[in-house]
Amino acid sequence: MAHALKEPGWYRAALGTVIGAAFGFFLVVGLRLLAGLDAFQTEQTGYPQLVVPLITAPFGFLIGFGAFDYWFRWAAGKPTVPDDHSGHGATRWQDYFTFNTDHKVIGIQYIVTTFFFFFIGGVLALLIRAELAQPGTQVLDANLYNGVFSTHAVVMIFLFIIPMFAGIANYVLPIMIGAPDMAFPRLNALSFWLLPIAGLIFLGSFLAPGGSFDAGWTGYAPLSTGAPVGQSFFNIGVQFAGASSIATAINFLVTIITMRAPGMNLWRMPLLVWANLSTSLLVVGATPFIAGVQFMVFFDRIMGMNFFQFLEGGNVLSYQHIFWFYSHPAVYIMMLPGFGIISEVIATHARKPVFGYRLMALALLGIVVLAYSVWAHHMFVAGMFSWLRVPIMITTLLIAVPTGIKIFSWLGTLFYGKIHTYSTAMLFSLGFIVTFTVGGISGVMLGLVPLDIHMSDTYFVVAHIHFVLFGGSVFTIFAGIYHWFPKMTGRMYDERLGRVHFWGTMIGTWGTFIPQHWIGLDGMPRRVVDYATQYGDWNLVISVFSLVLGLAQLVFLYNMVVSWKWGPKAGDNPWRSKTIEWLVSSPPPTFNFDEIPRVVGGPYEYGTPGARHAIMGGEDAETSVPEPKPSTVAAPS
Amino acid sequence: MESASITATGQATTDDHHHHGPPAYHQSARIDQTVLGILLFILSEIMLFASFFAAYFFIRVVTGPETWPPPGVELPVLIAGINTVVLISSSFTVHYALEAIRKDNHDGLKLGLVLTWLLGATFLFIQINEYIHIGFTPRDGAFGSIFFSLTGLHGAHVFVGLLLLTFATVRAFRGHFGPAHKDHLGVEVPGIYWHFVDIMWIIVFASIYIL
Amino acid sequence: MPKVPYLKLTLASLAIGAVISVLMLQYDWMGDAASTAAGPIDTLLDWMIVLSSFTFSVVCVFLAYALYRFRVKPGDEGDGLPIHGNTRLEVIWTLIPTVIVLFAGGYSWIVLDEVESKEADPLIVNVYSQQFAWTFGYPGEGNKWSEGEFHVPVDRQVVFKMNAQDVIHSFWVPEWRIKQDNVPGITTDAVITPDREGTFQLVCTELCGAGHATMRATVVVESEQKFNKWLKGLDDTVPEGLYLTADQAIDLQKQIQKNSGGIDGSGIEQTGRKNVTSS
Ligand code: HEA
Ligand code: HEA
Ligand code: CUA
Ligand SMILES: [Cu+2]
Repeated sequence: MAHALKEPGWYRAALGTVIGAAFGFFLVVGLRLLAGLDAFQTEQTGYPQLVVPLITAPFGFLIGFGAFDYWFRWAAGKPTVPDDHSGHGATRWQDYFTFNTDHKVIGIQYIVTTFFFFFIGGVLALLIRAELAQPGTQVLDANLYNGVFSTHAVVMIFLFIIPMFAGIANYVLPIMIGAPDMAFPRLNALSFWLLPIAGLIFLGSFLAPGGSFDAGWTGYAPLSTGAPVGQSFFNIGVQFAGASSIATAINFLVTIITMRAPGMNLWRMPLLVWANLSTSLLVVGATPFIAGVQFMVFFDRIMGMNFFQFLEGGNVLSYQHIFWFYSHPAVYIMMLPGFGIISEVIATHARKPVFGYRLMALALLGIVVLAYSVWAHHMFVAGMFSWLRVPIMITTLLIAVPTGIKIFSWLGTLFYGKIHTYSTAMLFSLGFIVTFTVGGISGVMLGLVPLDIHMSDTYFVVAHIHFVLFGGSVFTIFAGIYHWFPKMTGRMYDERLGRVHFWGTMIGTWGTFIPQHWIGLDGMPRRVVDYATQYGDWNLVISVFSLVLGLAQLVFLYNMVVSWKWGPKAGDNPWRSKTIEWLVSSPPPTFNFDEIPRVVGGPYEYGTPGARHAIMGGEDAETSVPEPKPSTVAAPS
Repeated sequence: MESASITATGQATTDDHHHHGPPAYHQSARIDQTVLGILLFILSEIMLFASFFAAYFFIRVVTGPETWPPPGVELPVLIAGINTVVLISSSFTVHYALEAIRKDNHDGLKLGLVLTWLLGATFLFIQINEYIHIGFTPRDGAFGSIFFSLTGLHGAHVFVGLLLLTFATVRAFRGHFGPAHKDHLGVEVPGIYWHFVDIMWIIVFASIYIL
Repeated sequence: MPKVPYLKLTLASLAIGAVISVLMLQYDWMGDAASTAAGPIDTLLDWMIVLSSFTFSVVCVFLAYALYRFRVKPGDEGDGLPIHGNTRLEVIWTLIPTVIVLFAGGYSWIVLDEVESKEADPLIVNVYSQQFAWTFGYPGEGNKWSEGEFHVPVDRQVVFKMNAQDVIHSFWVPEWRIKQDNVPGITTDAVITPDREGTFQLVCTELCGAGHATMRATVVVESEQKFNKWLKGLDDTVPEGLYLTADQAIDLQKQIQKNSGGIDGSGIEQTGRKNVTSS
């Protein structure tokens, strides 16, 4: 036992958590007693004896778990343990519960964890729908309802979509560019372990005195600065989730910039790599803004500061400006990696080069630039500077242009291809194109100031959110998971169940979220526990379809679990794809390659006989490889 | 466009090729990974400061109180100015340390690091002293909040910088580091961070004490 | 290369777009209209419905055609044609959406200006919102006050001046198509000319705590005479519980600063913290 407590691992982590929590607790109580105050402070925005341990305990956990062992030794100038790569790879399931530095293990850790949180978020969504199935309040009281939808959104955004994309890219991106691992494997592992911490903090807020945070996922001040202590859980959880995002983004950027295989210049990078490059630029630049603004709320709450206290010279609207300066880019953080996935899936399953590859890459960068200039479209009715509305409206509308380029280029890719609709990955990609277009178009309507004045904060916005987030991000996630499932597990999933999942999801999504447009336009505000009886029928329909949607996800869960264990062997390259991750075994060997591959052409040279993307180590290096012939229609854009 | 004629299988780095270790990655950019990493990290740090500057802008310009700083508040510009000089000189000493190790001058490295550390610590000490005697608290109006947050955020960065410098100093005294580039990254990277902390102070100082 | 009937596909998209538009235009999506703003805004929505229907049907028609025409035959292991792009096409699908959205933007700007244009001699109504109630003041008409209900005359422009007392609330009368947040510490305004008599609901549309869903007030639009009569019956004392307007807040702030001799902090009560969510 004593030995177990010395070695990094779960025992030491448990001990670290307890010590960390105790340290925070006694620090607060001690300082308060020293200052002659009561030991405990139970003003609803305060509770320092609860809030400070919430910050210190995770650090205790991480130290105990071994996240910093290497760095501690390094800092003290001691010889660092020579890298024997024992922290690398997974041979047993227990290896997934260690501080593992292998990007593929981390990828799986991310994916499984985030799906877990997806189901939690989904159960919360079903609670929302149960309450709203009829007018009146039946299932949840008003306070609880507010807490439930706030947590629903926060869990879905910060613990499902954003980290899920980081997880998928963690797994495939290094292999795609021919790198043995990410640039900073230890930082990578740390990024992952910050996530469950954030998740537990968010969910733990339900146990806090006064209930969970309930000011919406947007947490507008001053509602949030005066809310019960659960709101502090949000302020703190976001810091952990945000730190995880930023660290991962830095890792991706450094990996992409410095670790590409020879021959892989920018214009030979698969679009998934481009997409994560763009996303990471957004994360590094924007995420500090939500960290900053949640710090400010936190300071207002527990230290009595006055950032948003209007009576003390604070500025209420500054919260929204700073918040949206992150959270608008965040919606593209939740979409661009999905765009990357769709490009991979469509090129592979339509067996054609991505149409207009360069413009596709440039469109991503265009969205990155525009994303920083549209934050105030969430504030058209907020009482901000009225002169800012029209310029922001124009930039908002312009985002439709690069996004349209992507949609049309995918269609262009399908034309003259050989479309394999048998695979569920492809079905989700096609479903994505249609569904996301609807969400994008409702976004454009919201972008028009006179229409937004009517639609803002109604169910029309809720419909938009879910069409872009579910019909957009989640569809791409499913496409990606089905596409790389054989690579990650070495086994094939059941396509028949996949189709059931797809059609259930498609019908569920449209049935749930289309009517929300109508009741929104007709006057039903969002974030209400009770509503006028005239919307009762539609809400019942919505709730029924959300059940269909939920059941479809159970099919998915079953398919994944069963296929992972018992599915038929998939082979290395079941889709006959050209990108590098398919040229290694399934699942890939611990260090991906024995020798770094050599990139000799574009990633999607389908249809050009003999064209190769990469030559793997061990192959005869002298083999002459024909350059792909220029396109028969026109020069590449 | 690169043609298909690349033959090198990646420049193996100096590590020898273990059987069980990963293959050396192909270096596709000249910049060192750690340096690029710290630069990107600094980018996100700049944005963190930017969010607080945004709050500052809203409180001071948009809300627009008649007097700024509020009546009765006298900021100790002189002391803060001295502190600025202290911090700026520490940028030179850390640069000196780096130049020294580049020339394989270990004594110069140690001297530079120790001096930098002391200057940084002096800065923090003076700053804390200033907090104690300043006569208002973070609870006093939005001015108090933004004053303490911006300078405090910066102070926290000085603290982190000091921590990194401590590591470098400890290692310097244990005889680590050498003139080859990858042998003194442990000095260069904290150094880059320290310069950033410095420049950020000049901006904080200018906007809070002078403007 | 097999021929694709591009022209026919385009025409088919247009035709289907037209059908969808016509069907969608049959319905009054935003419900009854009762202000002069509703006309231009509803027309704008109609335009957007048409443009969106066309955009959507272009995507769907081309997708459906691709699936019909280029779906792989069973057993075919081959690849598609190695087409990398087509500059002309790419320019087209960059330019057309640009034109469409810029048209929508310009048009919206015109509508916005029209909706917000001010007329001479409007009726001023002060709106005070707090958890979870609405209070209305008529400063120009003998400083009358009304709680939970307000009346305005038909066909006269009304300027609402809004103040929130604790947290952000939002003022929305769906039939008027106008929504405006009430923000603590500043005064926001909205300009509305009601053009239909009737009784409507004022809905709070910004999450403001446990009572958000039920934070409503009654809006009555009536003839000038009826309105004046209703006004006469009102009180002119400030209702209890209404603790400050934006101006008062700023005054109070100055008071606090003066009384405490600068901001040494002593004696500053956390007045801003009344916004505790009550259940
Ligand atoms: C994945 C996430 C995601 C994505 C991608 C988007 C994409 C867009 N969003 Fe959305 N949005 C959200 C997530 C997202 N949004 C969320 C979560 C909120 C609510 C936050 C809250 O308050 O809780 C929100 C709210 C929101 C608002 C504020 C509403 C309000 O509260 O009043 C607005 C207003 O402008 C807006 C606009 C847009 C626009 C213009 C796009 C564009 O990027 C869409 C571009 C795409 C297309 C247009 C379709 C494809 C293009 C073509 C086929 C070309 C041809 C098209 C035309 C000519 C039109 N969004
Ligand atoms: C990020 C992505 C995301 C995702 C994936 C979802 C998914 C869903 N959301 Fe969510 N939602 C948001 C993001 C998301 N939402 C955001 C940002 C808000 C705004 C919050 C705010 O206002 O602050 C919001 C708000 C929101 C509201 C409005 C609340 C309000 O304004 O009062 C509603 C109401 O219907 C809703 C419903 C749903 C439903 C039915 C799903 C479904 O798609 C969920 C489907 C999944 C499952 C159901 C789980 C899987 C199945 C099981 C767990 C098994 C059990 C199931 C059965 C037995 C049937 N959401
Ligand atoms: Cu007041 Cu919602
Ligand atoms: Cu946005």
